[in-house]
This record gives sequence, structure tokens and C-alpha cells, in this order.
Amino acid sequence: MPFSSRFLMPFLLAVLLATAVGSIIQTQYNLAALQAIGAPIPLAVRLRTTGLDLLGFSPLFGLLVLAGFVFAIPAAVWSSRALPALRWPLFALAGALAVLLTLFLVNALAPMPTLIGANRTVAGTLGLMASGSVGALLFAALSRTVRVRS
Amino acid sequence: MPVFSFPALKVEPVPNLVRSLLVACLLASPMAQAMDYRIETVTEGLEYPWAMAFLPDGRMLVTERPGRLRIVEADGRLNAEPVGGVPEGFHAAQAGLMDVVLDPDFERNGWLYLSYAYGTLNANNTRLARARLVDGHLQTVQVLFSAQPAKAGAAHYGGRMAFLPDGTLVLTLGDGFDGREQAQDPSNHLGKLIRLNRDGSIPADNPLVATPGAAAEIYSLGHRNVQGIAYDHVHGRLYSHEHGPRGGDELNLIEPGNNYGWPLISHGLDYTGARVTPYTELPGLEQPLLHWTPSVAPSSLMRYSGELFPAWHGDLFVSTLAEKSVRRIRMQDDKLAGEMVLFEELDERIRAVYAGPEGALYLLTDNAQGRLLRVLPTE
Repeated sequence: MPFSSRFLMPFLLAVLLATAVGSIIQTQYNLAALQAIGAPIPLAVRLRTTGLDLLGFSPLFGLLVLAGFVFAIPAAVWSSRALPALRWPLFALAGALAVLLTLFLVNALAPMPTLIGANRTVAGTLGLMASGSVGALLFAALSRTVRVRS
Repeated sequence: MPVFSFPALKVEPVPNLVRSLLVACLLASPMAQAMDYRIETVTEGLEYPWAMAFLPDGRMLVTERPGRLRIVEADGRLNAEPVGGVPEGFHAAQAGLMDVVLDPDFERNGWLYLSYAYGTLNANNTRLARARLVDGHLQTVQVLFSAQPAKAGAAHYGGRMAFLPDGTLVLTLGDGFDGREQAQDPSNHLGKLIRLNRDGSIPADNPLVATPGAAAEIYSLGHRNVQGIAYDHVHGRLYSHEHGPRGGDELNLIEPGNNYGWPLISHGLDYTGARVTPYTELPGLEQPLLHWTPSVAPSSLMRYSGELFPAWHGDLFVSTLAEKSVRRIRMQDDKLAGEMVLFEELDERIRAVYAGPEGALYLLTDNAQGRLLRVLPTE
């Protein structure tokens, strides 16, 4: 089984999924904050804004996810081999921590207090972390499937 | 004293005959001659200068963001010793000592007003104080106002001031960056312009004085980070500009009680590329007179009423950080009539633009070795 099939494709798909889920969560968080101060958000506006953010916000968020997953996914692979019974929770935790630590680092380096709007509150941050978990779990599932098939 | 001279007009490519006729007409006009300028350095070695004020005796006061108030003599010499007694503030990133303005009755009462950041990295905001300058030292320092709530981070303080004809003072504030939705909350000062009497008391006719739960100091709301304000005494209009996020910098005509929309409406995107809002307009929210996308990062606003540049009389001047220029906004019959980009040849972030008492333009450049520049007609 070539390396690209075994790890690279699952890894890239995991980054893409985490990025897309994170972008969607970020948009809903942002729109909810606007609704709370009186903005009307009908479904068409919500869908359009979500789509525009997938185009506009995803490139940057994808880079952040990629930077975090480069360290988190190998760590999860290694630790799940040591603790196979905890494989799924370990991947979920690794994905969440990857996003959290990357956000922490980028906020420390960026001139503004908080780069990503959803990262301004605990709920929004947990949402972004959840996107990391979803991506890492996809990697766990795909790499497991590949391993079973091989 | 280095002197540079540049023509201010930029001529677009046109056919030769037309160009010749245009140039001949322009050279013959007094306006063209008046718009040629030279730039000279008044003083240098200022650390992130932010604002200045012209004292009646010809000296100048200059604030430095790290917390110093400096005196520049009339001949341009920078006093080595900063003014003593400046109130202790919070200095980090955008936080520090900001504006200085003289009381309209300064020659009689001696008051000057300072804006600066107070607090700590985890709890800070903008503060206003006044004091008297006596022998190079501030005395009788009085804190007049502290914006609430104290927020975390070191961004978006506003900090510019302007006096209205009735003697009240308008102070611009910022949303603190992370608190953008707070700009719509009338119970606090984030993202607002506030109006005070000169002793810090609240004018009885402020627009939200009678509104339950509202901060009585508020003059207008829905702002992001307002770093320019100027009152047009001829037409009785108050202008301000504010930084947008990525795009959407705005010039606004301020009316008491109006809501300028941030973050419900904006022509800018978040720095991440995300939408701050789906809307550029909504009912009940004011539209800007103009907006700049991409951002120019407007840092101060001045209405020119001097005599040295007659062609500029009545125009608005906006210094910019990102564009490294001064934007001249032409005004005709109280209406916007186009823009011209000036002083790009300096290739420096311009923190502030002023008109001196003699009619020259004064510029403060924004860096650790900042300069005070003077713009004069070539003739």
C-alpha cells in the first residue's frame, strides 16, 4: 500500500473536512451574534453568507488546520497504537487540540487580540475545536479502512 | 533642514494637443501655482508621534504613543526633556498616549486635553484628562472620563477630539476589536463617540440622556475605530472617519444620536476573509459619505481653512497609514467633489495632518524615528 493512499489522502481529506466544518461553524456563530443585535438573517442570506465564507475564509482557516494537523495526526496515530482501545477519543482530542493550540499561537503572533471572530467566546472556540475533531476522526476512519482492506 | 519639492497634480495620459492646451491653461492659472508645494522637516527623533497642538507662542506640543508629551520650539528644536506630569497610562501595540488639544479659551484658562489608554493588557480602554502646562510641567491634572467597560487586548481606542461651537468636546472611541457587537449596545462606550462639557460633566442635551439604560455621554454609536474628527465651523458640520476591517474605511457626517451601523453593515471583510456582515445597508443605519476599499487606514482628519494654499480652502484632509499618503477630499458647496492623493512620495505612514496657524500643513510620520514635516507652497 503506497504512502499516498495510506496516509496522504486521508490526511488531506481530514484537513478539507475540518476546514469546511470550521468555516460553516464560524459563519453561524457570526450570524448568530448579528441576529442578537437585531440583524435579520433569513435562510437565503444565511446560505449565501455560508457559501461566501467557504470561499473567503476557508483558505486561511485551512492553512491553520493544516499546520495543526501536521503535528496532531502523527501524534494521534502514535498514541492510538499504544492505546488502541482509546483510538477514537484520542483522534478526537488531537484534532480539537490542534485547532486550539494553532489559534492560541496565531493570536499571540497577530496584531489583533483575536484573529477569528468565533474564537472570541468559549462557545465559538469549542465549535472550532469540534471541527478539528471531526477532521481527525475522518482520518482515523479512513486510515483504519485502508488498513483493514490492506 | 532638508527640503523637497513636488508637483501635486497627477495628469492622466491624454492626446498631445489636448495635453498641451491643458498644461498651458494650468500653468496660467493661479490655482496650479498655489498647489505646488515643498516639504521640509521641522524636527525628527519622535517615537511614534500621534498628535500635535500649536501653542499661542509658536511652540508645538507633540504626543508620542509610548507616553511622552514633547515640546517643539518655534524654530523646530525638540526639547530633550519631555513634559513632566503626564498621567500614567497603558502602553502596548495601539495603546498609549494619543491626542492633545488646547481648550478653545486656552489663552485665558490654560487647559489642555489629553486622551490615552488606561489599565492593563487584560482590562483597558480610553481615558480623557485635562491639565495646565506650567513651565514644562503638567499641573492640576484632572481625569474627566474613562471609557467602560475595560476590555482585553491593545487595539481600537479611537482617541481623537474636537470641540463643538458650544464649547463641548467630542471624543472618539473604538470597539476594542473583540467587542464589535458592543458598538450597537447603548449601555457602554465601546464603538461610540461621546460628548462632554469641558469639566467632564455630561451635557443635558446629549441625545441619549433621557434613554433608560443608555450611557448618557454617547453622541453617536455604531463605530469601529474612529481616529479622525473635525468640525466645519463654516457649514456647522461634524465629520469623522473610521478604520474598516479589510476594506470599508468610512468618512461619516456625524449627527447626534445617529447609528453608523458597525458591525451590522460594512463594506469591509474580516481580516480572515470572512464576512463581518452580509449587509452594506439596513434601515435606520447611516451610510458613509464615502468609503475606501481597499483600506487606506485613515488616521486623522482636518478641514483646511488656511491662506497659504487657497485652492485647498474648505477641503478635508485625511492622513493615512496603509496608503502612506494624505487624501485631499475636495469640497464644493458643502458637497464632496472628488479626491486627490498627496505626499505618497514620502513613502511613510502618516499618523496625522494639521493646518498650522500660518496656513502650512504639518504631518506626523508614524514610526520609531518619526518626523514632524511642514508643507509649504513652492513660491
